[in-house]
Amino acid sequence: MKVAMIGWEYPPFKVGGLGTHCYWLTRHLANLGVKVDFYVPKRSRAINVREKNLRVIEIGATKVYPYDRVEEGALEGDFFESVNAYNELCAEKIHGDYDLIHVHDWLTVKAGINLKHKLGKPLIVTIHSTEFDRSGWLNPNEYFINIEKEGMEKADRVIAVSHYTKKVIVDNYGIPEDKIRVVHNAVNHVGEGKKKRRIVLFLGRLTIQKGAEFFLRAAKRVLEKEDCLFVVAGGGDMLPRLVDLSVELGIANRVMFTGPLTDEEVKHLYRIASVYVMPSVSEPFGITALEAASAGAATIVSKNSGVKEILRHCLTVDFWDTDEMANKIIALLRYDPLRRAITRNAKRDLNFITWERTAQKTLEVYREVV
Amino acid sequence: MYFEVHQPFRLNRFSVFNIGENFNPFEVYFNHKLNKDLFERAVRKCYLPTNKLILELIEDTDRNFKVSFSLTGTFMEYCDALAHEVMRSFQDLVETGCVSLICETYYHSLSSLFEDLSEFKEQVEMHRNAIRSRFGYEPKVFRNTEAIYDNRIAKEIERMGFKGIITEGTEKILGWRSPNYIYRPVNAPNLKVLLRNHRLSDDIAFRFSAVGWEEYPLTADKYARWLSSCEGEIVNIFMDYETFGEHNWPESGIFDFLYHLPREVLKYPNNYFVTVDEAVERFSPVGEIDVPFAISWADNERDVSPWLGNEMQIACFNELKEIGKMLKDKGDEDLLKLWRLLQTSDHLYYISTKGFADGEIHKYFSPYSNPYEGFINYMNILQDLRRKVEGGRL
Repeated sequence: MKVAMIGWEYPPFKVGGLGTHCYWLTRHLANLGVKVDFYVPKRSRAINVREKNLRVIEIGATKVYPYDRVEEGALEGDFFESVNAYNELCAEKIHGDYDLIHVHDWLTVKAGINLKHKLGKPLIVTIHSTEFDRSGWLNPNEYFINIEKEGMEKADRVIAVSHYTKKVIVDNYGIPEDKIRVVHNAVNHVGEGKKKRRIVLFLGRLTIQKGAEFFLRAAKRVLEKEDCLFVVAGGGDMLPRLVDLSVELGIANRVMFTGPLTDEEVKHLYRIASVYVMPSVSEPFGITALEAASAGAATIVSKNSGVKEILRHCLTVDFWDTDEMANKIIALLRYDPLRRAITRNAKRDLNFITWERTAQKTLEVYREVV
Repeated sequence: MYFEVHQPFRLNRFSVFNIGENFNPFEVYFNHKLNKDLFERAVRKCYLPTNKLILELIEDTDRNFKVSFSLTGTFMEYCDALAHEVMRSFQDLVETGCVSLICETYYHSLSSLFEDLSEFKEQVEMHRNAIRSRFGYEPKVFRNTEAIYDNRIAKEIERMGFKGIITEGTEKILGWRSPNYIYRPVNAPNLKVLLRNHRLSDDIAFRFSAVGWEEYPLTADKYARWLSSCEGEIVNIFMDYETFGEHNWPESGIFDFLYHLPREVLKYPNNYFVTVDEAVERFSPVGEIDVPFAISWADNERDVSPWLGNEMQIACFNELKEIGKMLKDKGDEDLLKLWRLLQTSDHLYYISTKGFADGEIHKYFSPYSNPYEGFINYMNILQDLRRKVEGGRL
């Protein structure tokens, strides 16, 4: 089987689950004997891949990251232009005896649709996040919704990264359930550190979607009862507002904003954090929760998330219920048996959550259409 | 046949921010709305219709159908508060003379596993008194919470003057021997042990509605045939009373099954029903059982792991014991009552993590979405109680 897969980011250039997913999916598909040509926009440095069955082919160039919000001003012009240009280039340049076309998210949907017509081959669209998720369900932009909708309608199969996302796709895009398949993401184990500190960690882009504001409001409540350090890791347009909020709440001395971090720095934080909180307003999956768990942090995740479908050993919370979030953070800090039970049991589960399984399930979807 | 009738006082959502607040803990610790709803549902679906049916069956069989009940103290408190007619219908049953009442710990607690058995004895005494005063009945047989049993418990029960004790007929203690006889505890020669036949009991309790089971559907005549082909002197069929109407819905045919069962059983000339009190009078022990480590009738392990199987449960249990030690000399009746209501074993059962691995039983009964939530809630309440005890007043 030979697949043309069109992506937007690929490590080392990545910011979200999309890049991580594509990286491990392509490798494991290649291992399973699928020939994969992975198309990606060229960035500052070339990506070198030496894997049997796998080629990474750079097309065009872009500076834009997939989770940037267009209303964030300056990027707007660039953004649409880059995406469109990339999609057109892909549609134009990709030829060959592929058995199917596989695209990821709205960013590559147009190329997928065009190639489906051009090559007459089945189209698979994986949805890593919808416009509803990225906008935090506040003023979702119809432009993106329409692209997503068209892509899913034209697709032969839609892969959702969770049942949570599948539901959004059915309810908000009117896509028939029987052509959607759920394939969960997986995790690369970070490995446990030597010593845990009384650190409660948030990690993610500082956008509406990720809910850092709720993390700070919960922190305020926690600090009324317990002493610990709150770390907000990651960059994003909301950073200045969040710093202001921490001052306003009177907790600035117990909150640390790290800004964007390298992979190694992220791993270090996972390893020393006792508690990891993912308070997303809407999180299609949430690989970070698995990463944190693999580093021995007890996790609290938003009920609006996909990861809780496979990470059974975590606490869940409504993102807006900051008192309950604080209650659970305090419980994890105070009650060692609880923290130990959750982290130990979660690690046992993680052994079964592998990228190989993700690739196998994806291959099953391929086989349905080829 | 013997039925366990129990309702716990399930807990309210209790946040760490509630700890130390000023409130009436009897109001705030317990989820009265949920408890009332669940109790009333059980009254409607199980207690009243099943009591009525059993009363009819006793009369229809010229008092040859006999059963036994264990009503926990907390269940009787529910009846007092919400359903006097349920208590009256149990009283009617006892008055037929065909119904025995079994003694247990008033709070359906794990006090038998405390190092110091004085609390256990007090709770057994409380329950014995409650049975006496409500039914004018002197219980002769004891069944500990979820049939938890070991030599130490047996010895204490013998000392307290009981004639018999009920536990699980598990292969762990029987080996090759049959549960269908009466046994004697190795260290309590005056006590007789009734052993639950778990296969035949669970055929009704767990498998009755199991469509995938090879014997499905279970009919009264088939079941009666199985009973009569059993070797031994007595078959002990013990289960939760909610088996009728709640765990198995009326549509499953469970009431029809019960309706036909006595007549089908009595069709065989050698068959007859006894209450547990009659059983310990009538039969003699055929051998000894030796149980150094506690067993129970729960889960596949038949041990105490459903309540004390993980470190969260053990932490809560230790906290309970600690609070108990602080309470002992206080003489504060309200705090003592709260502590005892929190001892009900269900609170620990909800924290079991075995549900993740072996099936849905734990989940089925739990008011929490997972055991971790159960732990946080219960532990927060225990922390609040500890503060109140340390502070010395409500």
